[in-house]
Amino acid sequence: MIEVENLVKTYGRINAVKGISFTAQKGQLLTLLGPNGAGKSTTIKSITGLIRPTSGNIRVAGFDVVKNGVKAKGSMGYVPDRPYLYKKLTGRELLRFLGQLRKVENVDAKAQDWLEFFSLQDFANELIESYSHGMKQKLTFIAALLHEPQVLVIDEPMVGLDPRAAKQVRQLMKDYTQNNRTVLLTTHSMDVAESIADEVVLVNKGEIVAQGDLGQLQDNIGKKEAGLETIFLELTKDMEREQMMNEDNYSDLGRDMAA
Amino acid sequence: MIKTHPLILFELAFRQFKNTIRSNPLQYIFISLLLIVMYWGIHSATIWGLDFLDKIPNYDAINLVDAVIQRSLESLLMILMFSVAFSVLTTAVQTLYDSHDLPFLLSLPIKANRVFYMKVSETYTSAAMLPAFFTLPILVAIGIHREAGILYYFVAIASVLALYAIPVAIGSLVALVLMRFAPAGKVKEVATGLSVIFAAALVFGLRLLRPEQIATMSPLEMIRFLKDFAEFKISWMPSSWTSEAIWAALDGRFGLGAFFLLAISVVSLWVVAQLAALAYSEGWIRSNDSIKVKLDPRVRPMPFWERQLLRLHKHGHLIAKDIRLMLRDPSQWSQLLVLVALAGVYLVSISSITIEGSQSQRYRDAVATLNIAFTAFLLSGVGIRMTYPSISLEGEGFWILRTGPLSSRELILSKFWHSLPSMIILGGGLGFLATFLMKSSSTLSFVSPIAGLCAGMVITGLGVGLGAAFPKFDANSPSEIPMAAGGLLYIAFSLCFAIGMTALIALPAWRTIQNPNIFYWSKPQGMMILAILLVVSCLATALPLLFGSYKLSRFE
Repeated sequence: MIEVENLVKTYGRINAVKGISFTAQKGQLLTLLGPNGAGKSTTIKSITGLIRPTSGNIRVAGFDVVKNGVKAKGSMGYVPDRPYLYKKLTGRELLRFLGQLRKVENVDAKAQDWLEFFSLQDFANELIESYSHGMKQKLTFIAALLHEPQVLVIDEPMVGLDPRAAKQVRQLMKDYTQNNRTVLLTTHSMDVAESIADEVVLVNKGEIVAQGDLGQLQDNIGKKEAGLETIFLELTKDMEREQMMNEDNYSDLGRDMAA
Repeated sequence: MIKTHPLILFELAFRQFKNTIRSNPLQYIFISLLLIVMYWGIHSATIWGLDFLDKIPNYDAINLVDAVIQRSLESLLMILMFSVAFSVLTTAVQTLYDSHDLPFLLSLPIKANRVFYMKVSETYTSAAMLPAFFTLPILVAIGIHREAGILYYFVAIASVLALYAIPVAIGSLVALVLMRFAPAGKVKEVATGLSVIFAAALVFGLRLLRPEQIATMSPLEMIRFLKDFAEFKISWMPSSWTSEAIWAALDGRFGLGAFFLLAISVVSLWVVAQLAALAYSEGWIRSNDSIKVKLDPRVRPMPFWERQLLRLHKHGHLIAKDIRLMLRDPSQWSQLLVLVALAGVYLVSISSITIEGSQSQRYRDAVATLNIAFTAFLLSGVGIRMTYPSISLEGEGFWILRTGPLSSRELILSKFWHSLPSMIILGGGLGFLATFLMKSSSTLSFVSPIAGLCAGMVITGLGVGLGAAFPKFDANSPSEIPMAAGGLLYIAFSLCFAIGMTALIALPAWRTIQNPNIFYWSKPQGMMILAILLVVSCLATALPLLFGSYKLSRFE
């Protein structure tokens, strides 16, 4: 499970995350939602150890990410929003390398199963540089799942996936929590979040503005039939207004430049 | 229809450059200071050389000194022109074919040839900026020394800039031909291979001139040599036209050569931009899109060498991955060829030193002592291409290791073990072969390979450690990675170590020069110096690695 406690992250004078706390329990799929610049990616990057929190605690599968990073990362799989991989390795070589690093037994057989699941087996011996964006995204999923981690952290899972793969991934994420495993997901796709999330954490301007399952979020805005999209738009209104003001500024800038 | 500003793309590039400087001003102030020091050094050395040459009397009817300076400038311009030609092929492939912003720029409602005007300018700036910077203080020094008028400075600088445009145009044309005719998907590999062959030919060509002969000449032979040199001229080379134009400008004339040079350079760059725009829709698309993949879905067993490396656990896995990536990436394996070429040229140079006479053993030992420093300098040059970029070469895939069960310390150590064997073999090998070829006395023959091994170890530690402390994951090629504060620190520290190590060995070397028959290392002072060398080497290796590990663990 993932426990985030008073997470604060500042970049110089900018407070990207201002004391966020939430827990993703075993067997739960928790979705982190929020507009662009809300602090979702910073939170995800702090959980995966890509950046160090300014203050606060993060534990993954019981291990502190900062103090016991190697063990925490050992029990985690991560799918980033942009699938940058070693382009001069073949798909199979990358999976073998990651499997060895994570001490996966029968790595070739497991990799083959996953490659077949994502219909990548024919391309497994080709260099990754020849893969399409969607193929790289699928390979990133396999890399994250190969060692069957207790915690799966996924940043924007549907980017670049074809409809069949998107459906597979949606089902996969739903099924993955069934063996007491945890999935943390960020997405801009409201229908994905609505259909598979057990709990939603809505973040805005570095703070949590709402948290709970769909029913609790509906209560929060006082609209019983509201979908996640309506809830999202309702709770992030201020942000939207601010963004529109910024857009006005950009238009002014554009006019200046054209002149 | 709204007309766009003709220089809008150049404005965009300039704005990006300004923002880059603004994002890290301290680093750029440091680099600027260093460049000023280098400028001042080259300028002073040129003035000193010109003063020295002024002391040589005129010979026969020709103004020997002027002719020698002109031929020297011509030779320098020729070498720098070839060095531009060496680097431009890979640069042109990168900018005209592989730039990340090309698809975006070509999708804008701007004519393709305007996009390529900017891309050709980018190629020119990347390939010719440094040679032009090194030429500038020499031209200014000649102008000051000869009290030239303002016209000289304009003509000299414009002629040199025009000269470097010619190899840029030729290299870009070859790159365009490669994009059209090289095997699909292999343009970069072919370009890198051609560049390496060209560079090796250039280096060995320069070696064939045997510059060490000058040291053994009598004064009369030297005058004769200078006269021959002054008369030696390759009139069809653009470097000759440039030096003619510069010399005419010294007399206040704007020669026809300068006009032709400027015209040729502008026209050739313009033609290249037009052709690149044309090739974009023909060859560029072909070589990107027509890669035919023969699919082979079989599960192949792990190769023997990789199975052996597995015994090293995590380090072994990382080393196996790095070996694969290095052998498949031409920008990495070409560095290995450069290493072999450097070592070869160095050994040929050492073996061609002929010292004879009753005092010869002393001179040989003195040269062998200096060789210890030179070996470390050479290793430092190799390390900046081989060890310093090792962490940064993880590139944008660094997140894979960062989110894996691997500490920064384990990662840095695996990079260290990966680079160490080649560096200590090179250091120890050069130390041994140099003293063997020079027939040094036993004291220096013993310490020289040890010093080479120590230098190899320290420079690997410095390279990996400082490379990890100042990573650059978004670099386009390994040669771009050290072009920052960390690279300069690495050079400074490795040179300090080379000088310090030579200073430590200076006392035993001095005793040996006085008495070549002693074996200094059997004495207590000798053992102590060896112990200090080993302890300092271990510390100088470990501290940068620890620093790099600490900084990398906090990298965001």
